[in-house]
Amino acid sequence: MTRTLLQWLGVAFVLGLVGLAAFALTVVKDRVRIVVQADAASTGPEPVVLLRDDLGVVARDLAELRSALGANLERLGNALEERAVARHADVQALARELAAVRQRLDAQAASLQRAEQQLLPRPEAAATAATEPAPVVAPPAPVAAEAAPAKTGGFLSFSLPATTFAFDREQRYQLVPELCRVGFDAKSTLHDFSGVTSQVAGQFTADFDDPEGAWRGEVTCEAGSLVTGVDGRDANMREYLATTEHPQIRFEIQRFVPAAGGVDVARQTARGEIEGRMQIRGVTRDLRMPVSVEVDASRRVVVSGQAPLKLSDYQVPVPSQLGVINMQDDVVIWISLRARVQVGDRK
Amino acid sequence: MRRTAGSCLPALCAGLLAGCIASNVVATEDRAVLRPVAELPFVAAPELVLDGLYESIEITGDAALALRRIYYLFRPDGTYTAAALTEGERGAAFQTLSGTWTNTAAGLSLDGADPVRLERADEHLRITAANGAVVLRRSAAP
Repeated sequence: MTRTLLQWLGVAFVLGLVGLAAFALTVVKDRVRIVVQADAASTGPEPVVLLRDDLGVVARDLAELRSALGANLERLGNALEERAVARHADVQALARELAAVRQRLDAQAASLQRAEQQLLPRPEAAATAATEPAPVVAPPAPVAAEAAPAKTGGFLSFSLPATTFAFDREQRYQLVPELCRVGFDAKSTLHDFSGVTSQVAGQFTADFDDPEGAWRGEVTCEAGSLVTGVDGRDANMREYLATTEHPQIRFEIQRFVPAAGGVDVARQTARGEIEGRMQIRGVTRDLRMPVSVEVDASRRVVVSGQAPLKLSDYQVPVPSQLGVINMQDDVVIWISLRARVQVGDRK
Repeated sequence: MRRTAGSCLPALCAGLLAGCIASNVVATEDRAVLRPVAELPFVAAPELVLDGLYESIEITGDAALALRRIYYLFRPDGTYTAAALTEGERGAAFQTLSGTWTNTAAGLSLDGADPVRLERADEHLRITAANGAVVLRRSAAP
């Protein structure tokens, strides 16, 4: 019984509370206003202003960094440039040293070759030795020291490529046109005259001390460039030489026949005859020309010589004016050539 | 007799003409192309102040084997710049260099090297080193 009473009292209490709450709500409903506001402590400047300030600071930092970076980049560029200049100088110095080393090596190689040549018997000497009893005392080695290959080195602060000149060794020579002249001497009724040209080109290979004289090469001149000093005569000459059809006069060098005792290696001179094939007006004939060879102060080979020739052998008409002024069929052709060692094609 | 005289007349005229026209045969000694450098009156030029552009007109000695042309631009302040056309295994090439010069009684020294002989003749210089000599001619200013 007590228990049921307590349950009823509980229910009644709850209902009472609910009723009291409902009553209170109706009483204070219009008197209560809820306002949400920040804490008093957080009051301060606008966030946008703060953000703007922050951006300003960041911008100043960036500007400082940019200027600092620019200065550093400039310093880096200058340093790189200085190093490049220094390296360029180093490379140039190395190149000069290499050139000097190369020259020394070439000189050593040349010396070695000369030593080998002096040690090895020459072919004719070997043949003689095979047929004759060996001499008790060996003959002295050929003296060619003064004429041995000349070596170039530095010259007035320039470093020169290694180039050698050897009178007694096979080398290729290139004509120096501005120092060459060829021509002919002719006789006529009125007076004697010469025809001359410097339009000469060519090259040849020669060992001036070679007893076999195995020279080879070619010399050409422009036939139309020959001048005699008289314009009318030059025009006639070009007609007679048919320079339009055969613009060049050619001489093919086939052999050099040294004169007896004509080669002096020490003095770098030679005398003898060049054998070859001369072509004038398209007609080719054998020709032998006595020549002399010497070496000038610039280490150029000077070849001079002359030989008689008949114009009729080359089907060149012999000029005649009115049957009175006649040119002789016999002329003398001559050469005055200078040639230098062709660098880069040494044999 | 009259025919003989008639036939001789052209030959006689030709002979007379020949006497009037001088021979223009090139003498044997004149066949070579020569440069009159050797005739320049070179004299020693100690303490000459070098100034101007010079171009080589002749190179002699072993140096001539590889050297084709040299140009020097000397300045009176003791500096110079130069170029040389050389020919070697790899063909022709220019070398350039710059440096200093001094010219004393001992000779011309380039870049502090041993002095070499310097001579002068009018607008020409001749520099003689151990392995060659070069004759330079003054050129127009660049």
